[in-house]
Amino acid sequence: MGTISKIHEMLTSKQCSCTELTKSYLDEIEKSNGELNAYVNVTDGEALKTAEAVDKKIASGEEIGLLEGVPMTLKDNLSTKGIETTCCSKILTGYKPIYNATVWDILQSQNAVMLGKTNMDEFAMGSSCETSYFGGAANPFNTNHVSGGSSGGVASAVGANIAAYGLGSDTGGSIRQPASFCGIVGLKPTYGAVSRYGLIAYASSLDQIGPITKSVEDASIVFDAISKYDEKDSTSKGYSGDTYSSLNNDIKGMKIGIAREYLDGVRDDVKQAVLNAAEVYKSLGAEIVYFDLPALKFALPVYYIIACAEASSNLGRYDGIRYGYKTEHYNGTHDMICRTRSEGFGEEVKRRILLGTYVLSAGYYDAYYKKAQNLRGTIVKAFNDAFEHCDVILAPTVPMTAFEKGRAVSDPIETYLTDICTVPVNIAGLPGVSVPCGFNANGMPIGMQLIGKSFGEATILNAAYKYQQAAGENFKDTKWGVKL
Amino acid sequence: MVTREDVENIALLSKLFVPEEELDSLTQSMQEIINFADEINKAPASDEAFDNINNLSNVFREDEVVESYSSEEILRNAPEQAEKHFLVRNRE
Repeated sequence: MGTISKIHEMLTSKQCSCTELTKSYLDEIEKSNGELNAYVNVTDGEALKTAEAVDKKIASGEEIGLLEGVPMTLKDNLSTKGIETTCCSKILTGYKPIYNATVWDILQSQNAVMLGKTNMDEFAMGSSCETSYFGGAANPFNTNHVSGGSSGGVASAVGANIAAYGLGSDTGGSIRQPASFCGIVGLKPTYGAVSRYGLIAYASSLDQIGPITKSVEDASIVFDAISKYDEKDSTSKGYSGDTYSSLNNDIKGMKIGIAREYLDGVRDDVKQAVLNAAEVYKSLGAEIVYFDLPALKFALPVYYIIACAEASSNLGRYDGIRYGYKTEHYNGTHDMICRTRSEGFGEEVKRRILLGTYVLSAGYYDAYYKKAQNLRGTIVKAFNDAFEHCDVILAPTVPMTAFEKGRAVSDPIETYLTDICTVPVNIAGLPGVSVPCGFNANGMPIGMQLIGKSFGEATILNAAYKYQQAAGENFKDTKWGVKL
Repeated sequence: MVTREDVENIALLSKLFVPEEELDSLTQSMQEIINFADEINKAPASDEAFDNINNLSNVFREDEVVESYSSEEILRNAPEQAEKHFLVRNRE
């Protein structure tokens, strides 16, 4: 498996050069991206330049860091200086940021080899990657199925071994859900743990950046690297301490909670896989505690009201004046802005802007937005209460496995329902990690979610790591990509 | 109840054009989503105040002049520019 520590060992023991390694990833992208559509922009020149610098360092006998020379990818809503960043929307075609996202500044300073930018639902609005202006990414376990979304390109690339790891963003499940669909690990950190400077905003009170990786250890390595305080993000707190040193702690006596509401309406095979994981935890000496979390019933509508309201405001900036697409023929300023936006945004983005504007408009504000904010407080409190009785909450990541392409587009509400297990974590600002926990009868991966207290990343990654050690058979390579 | 007029009005507020032939289907789709959002009004009244996650507070600093981007860089992504300014639109 092409994990970060494996690649680090290969580079330091000179089994291969960083340039050779990078070329083998680029070759595999060339071969498979036509079918997977994971990358929307391959930055081979930049990648090989960094690889060369790493090789020079190794040749001169200098020590290299864990992330140094490791080929990776960024979701296309993370700003990369001088490299096109589109959010997979027509309205941002040709946009080349003049600054880097802080997370990319951090990784670039550690000589991370960026292979390219990856596909996503337009402005991260979707659960299948199919709202992308460039078409959706395919699932490496079965290319007739979706990769999930919105960070579908990162998950497809990591699942297919055409990137060792990647960074995505998670507003309502956009890291955890595609990680679950593609049989890999996805961590949504605590709100404030990772700087969002340079992440193109969707819903600012919910958005977080996090790693999508092949193993729990890798998620811990990347999280520790990027979770730094940043004065450029006013919501930034950073993470004190690290998660890596406690990965292998004994979990004997750890209380793992299962909220009954999380298992309602979940497909049988998914439910069974999660309950099997609970048995694994019991065998490791953890205690399973069942409890009720009735506030979860309202999480999904609360999420869509708040997310759309914030999106309608955040997306007001796209007017065809300062960056991105501009309409060709117009009659006056109002007409120019309306035409630019109507031609530049896709259907789902427009739907969410309209819904957000509706719930914020006079006459509806109290009934929807204000009420949703109040319920958000109720949900935050319900989680706080739950953590009085347990250390970690175990739940499915998605009520189902990756569905076939084309299904999500037909019914927006049915698609929204796929987010039911992931959105509560964003509403409450908590950390959550999705970990592979089995396969269904058709060989499609199933993911489970471990949810922690605010800034409890070390605990959930510790629990996830122990699970991977005990149930490693659920972490599988696909037929694609670089064989390491 | 979401009406055609509601949709026309919020489209105007959102600076989006909705073609006449899409208005009916969009009104219906909005109605379905609003019905779904209405679920929250079945929740018991709550006075749980929600301000922000993680007890964030305002960050104050001195208003000092620091180095920033040049106007050339800021203008680099503008679809159209004139005399070192963003060009909103040509005069009629």
